[in-house]
Amino acid sequence: AESMTPESLPPHALCCFSSCSSWLPQRVALRGSHWQSSLLGFRTSLPVRAQPKKKKKVDVKKEQAQKERMKKKLKKLEKAAPELIPIEDFITPLKYTESSRVRSLPALSAEESERRVLLLKKWCLFKQKQDEAEKKAIKALVESQQEALRELQLESEELYQAAILRDEGLFPFEREGPSYTPPLPAYDPPEGKCIDITKVYTQ
Amino acid sequence: DALLASRRSYRSRPTHGIGRFKYLLPKEVPKKRKEKVQMKEISAGTEYQYGDINIQMTSHDLCLVEHFAQYVHRLCNRLSIRVNESYAMPTKTNEVLFLEERGSKMQLDAVLTTHQRVVQIRGLSSTFAPILLEVIQSSQPEGVHLLMKQHTEADFKSRLKARPELEELLAEMS
Repeated sequence: AESMTPESLPPHALCCFSSCSSWLPQRVALRGSHWQSSLLGFRTSLPVRAQPKKKKKVDVKKEQAQKERMKKKLKKLEKAAPELIPIEDFITPLKYTESSRVRSLPALSAEESERRVLLLKKWCLFKQKQDEAEKKAIKALVESQQEALRELQLESEELYQAAILRDEGLFPFEREGPSYTPPLPAYDPPEGKCIDITKVYTQ
Repeated sequence: DALLASRRSYRSRPTHGIGRFKYLLPKEVPKKRKEKVQMKEISAGTEYQYGDINIQMTSHDLCLVEHFAQYVHRLCNRLSIRVNESYAMPTKTNEVLFLEERGSKMQLDAVLTTHQRVVQIRGLSSTFAPILLEVIQSSQPEGVHLLMKQHTEADFKSRLKARPELEELLAEMS
């Protein structure tokens, strides 16, 4: 009879238990079970008015005050403008600014400086030719495209209009840069892993 | 009232401008107000024009990617394509570890930094877009990864610092 659960046992079935507790005065109505807290019968309770309502008021006020505090905090945080993450490339590390060691370059001979100037001029010319070739190529491309579109327009107006519309499948466009050497045919790379150690900035 | 009324400027009198003194004080430099970082409007573009497009160049080599970004910017200037912004994304650092041949310990191989530069253009016409792509591809250097995509708010937000407190509060409120 000791394996009791509060929900399963009805109060009046435990009269035997109450009789063991001999200290109970006979004046007090025999309480059915120790699970029934009030002196009244099963499933009744005294009309309690004062205390629970007080608790509700205090709770509501506390909750409201908490909400207002949170709203104020939110407003304060939202007021601060968002900042851009500082880019480490543009910040010179301190070790290059502190030390004051200066390199003294050797004096150049006349032939050497002459050679360098001539090399610079050749490089400028090469770059100019390259740039001009690029401009010419762009011009040729644009011209041929315009001519093709004109011919298309003469052929059929519908196709011309469809050709002029923008291509949705063009973006996003991704391309890896060319490599110096092609990949080795039977290369077995060692196992390893990459850990991201980028510094996380928080405002 | 009488004092205010007596402030007439007798320009012919020698006492004209007798109370002036502000011209003697040193000029005050107006206070520099911090410009708030605000997102610019993202245009969607019309049927014959693309909206905001981001040309993102990523590489491990800093100088190469910088020079390539400068070249793309100058190219767009020359071809009279409007360039909204040309900025750098924060650098990412990666530690590369590899497993030793005889042993179970991971050995540090190198610390690699990935740099990214973005050139944002607007109003690229639909007929010129493939030509521009062709030109940029032909001059793409080794090791530089090119990515062209539409600009979104998420791209802009990735440049800003994370605000964990704000997010926490927002999560609690809702």
